[in-house]
Amino acid sequence: MNNCSLKVLMPKKIPLIFPIVALLALSCCGPKKNAVVFSVGGAPHSLALWEQLIRDFEKESGIPVEVLRQPTDTDQRRQGLIVPLNAGKSNPDVFLMDVAWLGLFVASDWLEPLGSNVDQEPFFSRVLQMVDMHEGTLMALPVYMDAGLLYYRKDLLESFGLSGPPKTWNELLAYARTVQRKMRKTNPDFYGFVWQGAQYEGLICNFLEFAGSEGGFTNQENKILLDSTENRRALAFMHDLIWTHEVSPPSTYTEMKEEETRTFFQAGNVLFERNWPYAWALHQSPDSKVRGKIGVAPLPAPPDGESVSTLGGWHIGISKFSDIKPQALKLVQFVTSCETQKRLLLNLGLNPGRKDLYADPEVLDKVPHLAQLRDVFQNARPRPILPYYTQISEIAQPFINGVLAGKYEPKDALAAAQQEIAALLKRYVTE
Amino acid sequence: MPTIEKEQWKALGFVAPLLLFVVLLVLVPVLGTLADSFFRDVTYLPKKFIGLGNFEQLLRDRGFWRATRFTCLFVVVSVPLEVLLGILIALILNERLPLRGAIRACVLIPWAIPAAVSGRIFELVYNYSFGAANYLFRVLHLTEGPINWLGSEAGAFFALVVADTWKTTPFAAIILLAGLSSISEDLYAQAKIDRASLIQRFWRVTLPLLKPVVVVTLLFRTIDALRVFDLIFVLTGGGPGGATTSLSLFGYDYFSAGDFGYGSAASVVIFLLAFGLSITYVKLARFEREVV
Repeated sequence: MNNCSLKVLMPKKIPLIFPIVALLALSCCGPKKNAVVFSVGGAPHSLALWEQLIRDFEKESGIPVEVLRQPTDTDQRRQGLIVPLNAGKSNPDVFLMDVAWLGLFVASDWLEPLGSNVDQEPFFSRVLQMVDMHEGTLMALPVYMDAGLLYYRKDLLESFGLSGPPKTWNELLAYARTVQRKMRKTNPDFYGFVWQGAQYEGLICNFLEFAGSEGGFTNQENKILLDSTENRRALAFMHDLIWTHEVSPPSTYTEMKEEETRTFFQAGNVLFERNWPYAWALHQSPDSKVRGKIGVAPLPAPPDGESVSTLGGWHIGISKFSDIKPQALKLVQFVTSCETQKRLLLNLGLNPGRKDLYADPEVLDKVPHLAQLRDVFQNARPRPILPYYTQISEIAQPFINGVLAGKYEPKDALAAAQQEIAALLKRYVTE
Repeated sequence: MPTIEKEQWKALGFVAPLLLFVVLLVLVPVLGTLADSFFRDVTYLPKKFIGLGNFEQLLRDRGFWRATRFTCLFVVVSVPLEVLLGILIALILNERLPLRGAIRACVLIPWAIPAAVSGRIFELVYNYSFGAANYLFRVLHLTEGPINWLGSEAGAFFALVVADTWKTTPFAAIILLAGLSSISEDLYAQAKIDRASLIQRFWRVTLPLLKPVVVVTLLFRTIDALRVFDLIFVLTGGGPGGATTSLSLFGYDYFSAGDFGYGSAASVVIFLLAFGLSITYVKLARFEREVV
């Protein structure tokens, strides 16, 4: 009886196992032979455009390309690349990198030099020098650029008799307080200024802008000086925006990332917003409450200082372990070509890494504010190009965020962060 | 000298596939992580054996101690809460209620939702400007303005405990329910004849017989809570000011930044903690004697 029931049971189980085995087998299937594997991430609509671009490239060049989809989250995209590269896998052949990773990727010797045949002229030379060149060799090319910008409500400034966007941080504060006080009478949820203060990489980008315009956070010869008077002053100002002046919401340090500030501003509840260029197209979309009421300007500066924007954006490179480098280079050239960059700009609002497009009449007709962005990009300041930049940032984030939360004093937080960074560097910079 | 009989070979054959999976999916990664924790495995430096170097560094790393303190506190607060609530729910579900099947299924829903998704749900609850919690407080006139739930250290901690409890209490309840239903009705009938009150029946009959199951539940929940990751990753990202960085998140941050050796060392510490606690539980419960 027992044996019999077993025999009856067994065949029934097989159909159950079969799909699992089939799935496993399928997942083992690699990409098409001789295809360039291109790793790119983002929201579904941007991936759809990338797929389209790649199909066009295939038709044009006859080189098969496999798109390896990555998530939207930057950290997860980095991890998705680090693992295969660290293992020396030949795929992906071509990938996009956040500007903050380039130090790590170059130092880990994962990037194939792009060679001297690549024309560097059309790109922002300062960005190439600071970010993409390593000891005189071109390792990557910018695909699209980002830098911190100040979005403002033109209509509100006008109706309260304020002229133009603020030039200094004090002006910004004064405008924010005036307008907020008056707007609160009808809208209790109104705030003067939103920016990214949650504990994540974006906080560091914001901090570098506040600190940089104070003359702090210089990264000379890759020595990081975090605990300086300028940085303390900048951090105290960020804290005061939330607690003393109350022009930034208390949720700044808990939930404010790019999308949170964007939706807050877009709901019509804010006068000023610090964000990346991507927010422009969304603020101006048909369902936006601030459509047609906004302007964009460089971030404010202190009276005697300069405006500083953190450089963001994504760069393209070829894996050192790629088995089809000539074809991979063709893809890189296609992605950084004028035509492709224009499509990325007009369809996704990604600001080109090429400067020629910033003077293109067709482009300027459709994206008039682009001319203004050119100067901001040209002068944007990159985060330190160091292989261990991510770890430094991970250490600094909780301390800076802790000051915003009222947990630490700026000087204690910066001193502690500096100390922990020094301990960390001992691990990485021995020998 | 016992020899393996034909019957036992057969049995081994049945166990083998499972054993293979356990070895491939559990043992190999654990040993691999252990091996990696003895190396300086950073992507841009040559790989070097450094013995216990990573662990020495961990002991000096204040970030590591902050994460350890948070993780232990999280376990100590959330696990007993979940098991106590679990017992309560299990006792209710064990009664002959109308629609018992449907109620049991409903109770299980939070457990069936992936932690990352329930993290997103609680993000909507705690959100400062449009969250459900602040909406409720405003409608009930409990506070003047909105509360920044995740804004203070204690606030973020308890917000996480509430979210975790909501998610995992059903798991505790279901295991405990299985334990409850295995207690014979005759014992209660007997206790009633002896005029034991409801409370006496619970303390003298239910609890002693349920003890092994309670210990198993505690064990499962403790190990799980020690590794807490997804909920925190989604809800607070470790903030504010690093106050809710768990050990897993601490290790992950290094791992994802390309410092595999250090990240592995942190993982090994979690493993050792979980392993040590499991053994302690088993010893304290003196399983062998009571279960049989």
